[in-house]
Amino acid sequence: MTVLKVAGIFLTAFFFGLTFEGIGRKITARVQRRYGPRWYQNFIDLFKTLSKHGYTHGWIFDFGVIMALGGIIASLGFVPVGGIVAFPGMDNFFVIVYLFTIGSLGMAMGMVGTGNPWASIGVARALTLMLGYEVPYMISIGSMLYFYRTSSISAIMSAQGGDWNLFKFPIGALVALISLQGMLGKEPFEAPIAPAEIASGPMVELSAKYMGLLMLMNTFMEFAEISLFVDLFLGGGTYFVFLLKYLVVWVLVVLISSVLPRFRIEQAVYFYWTVPIILAFVQVFMTVNGFVF
Amino acid sequence: MMNSMNDASVSQELQKVFEELKSMFGSCEAVHIDARQYKLIVPSDKTLGMLTYLKSIGYSHLSIITCVDWIDEKKFELVYILFNWSNGATFLVSTFIDRDRPVFYTVKDMWPTAEYYERDVHEFFGVEFEGNENCKKPLMLELWDDLPPLRKDFDPLQYSKEHFPDRTYEKDPIHEARIIRGDIEGDIEGGEIDG
Amino acid sequence: MDKIEKIDERGVWEKIADQLRSRSMWMLHYCTGCGAVELPPSMTSRFDMERLGMGPMATPRQADLFLVTGYLSTKTLRRVIYTYEKMADPKYVIGFGSCTINGGIYYDSYSTINRLDQYLPVDLYIAGCMPRPEAILNAFTKLMDMIRKGEADGWKRYNENYEWYKQNQLRSLGEVVVYDEFHE
Repeated sequence: MTVLKVAGIFLTAFFFGLTFEGIGRKITARVQRRYGPRWYQNFIDLFKTLSKHGYTHGWIFDFGVIMALGGIIASLGFVPVGGIVAFPGMDNFFVIVYLFTIGSLGMAMGMVGTGNPWASIGVARALTLMLGYEVPYMISIGSMLYFYRTSSISAIMSAQGGDWNLFKFPIGALVALISLQGMLGKEPFEAPIAPAEIASGPMVELSAKYMGLLMLMNTFMEFAEISLFVDLFLGGGTYFVFLLKYLVVWVLVVLISSVLPRFRIEQAVYFYWTVPIILAFVQVFMTVNGFVF
Repeated sequence: MMNSMNDASVSQELQKVFEELKSMFGSCEAVHIDARQYKLIVPSDKTLGMLTYLKSIGYSHLSIITCVDWIDEKKFELVYILFNWSNGATFLVSTFIDRDRPVFYTVKDMWPTAEYYERDVHEFFGVEFEGNENCKKPLMLELWDDLPPLRKDFDPLQYSKEHFPDRTYEKDPIHEARIIRGDIEGDIEGGEIDG
Repeated sequence: MDKIEKIDERGVWEKIADQLRSRSMWMLHYCTGCGAVELPPSMTSRFDMERLGMGPMATPRQADLFLVTGYLSTKTLRRVIYTYEKMADPKYVIGFGSCTINGGIYYDSYSTINRLDQYLPVDLYIAGCMPRPEAILNAFTKLMDMIRKGEADGWKRYNENYEWYKQNQLRSLGEVVVYDEFHE
């Protein structure tokens, strides 16, 4: 049964992740008054990259790409998707965050292994940005874990009932949404992959299959991150309700990103360590003193 | 500052500069181009002195160093264009050097940017600048093995034909275009043009 | 001239892959010449290249389609050859504007090449100085058609006739090595 559930989560992440990305591209296009690509464009892109004959840059590069994809797949297995909880009792918030790091480090290792300076700059920026958004995110989620006295995501999900954490912890939800924008690498926190500035950063030397695997990893990562937000703040729900909530959050993120320019990396970190971190502490103060709506 | 000065006061100032130049460098021919632009033609042994003097009185912006090939007179003309930011006046300091032995002195110690203008002139005209040791490095033309290409005795069409294979056409469009324009006499192969 | 009937050597997987490749072309534009101005209109809302699945890519490793716009001097041709060889197979080249076809107005220049297809396998040329965005879009749909039919095989020709291409490159360039004194 566990195997089936894990397979279900992966298939959901694969199919809906790529579909929603296609929809996101369409929305961006419509904001820019273009017609935009077809909704299944990302499937074509993915399979096309897998069909090309690429170049490797040594075993450390191959290993880094596999480690990145593997780490993200491992953490995705623990994320509850709607009613589907693959490992009941083990869907701990800290386990997921810990496993995320493997993916990021794998990507950092592999991309630096290409030897391209743009890749090093991109990875350095990605890790710096991570330092920026993780701190307010952790503080705001920490206050929620303190309130529920558990770090199990499915427990928090079911404890909400119809009364979403979005309304119980409005400031924390705002902080998490701002951090989500950075986690997904969307504007204005797009500095790590700035295509016109550092030639798409970590992805600069990726050809063919490697590009495809990294695209897949990116999709899975987006899926896991938004799923965490939906589970923690929007109450999860049954499978289709979950996907609907997911879509709403995704569209919101895409709309924000499609109208904003890019922060420089030090501006982004400065922003994260001033406004969201203060808001996160306000949330902690309110939670500790019992101001939970 | 620049805009507030009218042409009359600038020309007054320039007259003063000319007088001083004449007293310092003796024969100095000044060609009037427009109200704020003059060309000074100096002998090559006095050029560096004049450039130093002009830099010290405010003509400190070196816009470009360029070269003209006077093949019939067997001379290269080096032109240093100096600009003054406080009154907007420009001096074109020009000097003639021997075309068969094109050697001059570098000014890169006065203007660091001059290094690249000098390399450019060296590459396209073959003028050597003593003191600029980077002069011989290729700047734009890598692996060049022919005459410097902007000399008048260099034939670019022939070089192009030797090095870059061209498409062959049954018709020669350039020849036909010349006939149509009336530059040369002749028939257009293949009969009339439609329309 | 009689058209020689080409035999389609592709297997089933290659045919499927070509369908995918034709619908998702990522483009690298090498705009040292003039063509850079014509591309933004074909990307933005007027002509919207993305609806055909195309988009600009930042690096040669990721790109499928190489747009060489305008004239190429010998110095840039060295970089272009480097860039082309960095791209992953299958890759397609579009020569853009009359300068890549026969040198255009630079036909007698000492530093610009006359025919791009002597040095790189060009799948398609767009004539014009410069071609309008309509012509560019037309060329893209034509190239997609060629990929689906298996006619856009420039990358195979480059691998098969590598000696010939290399010989031409050496004849015009002396050597295909990029010297860069600023990054030594």
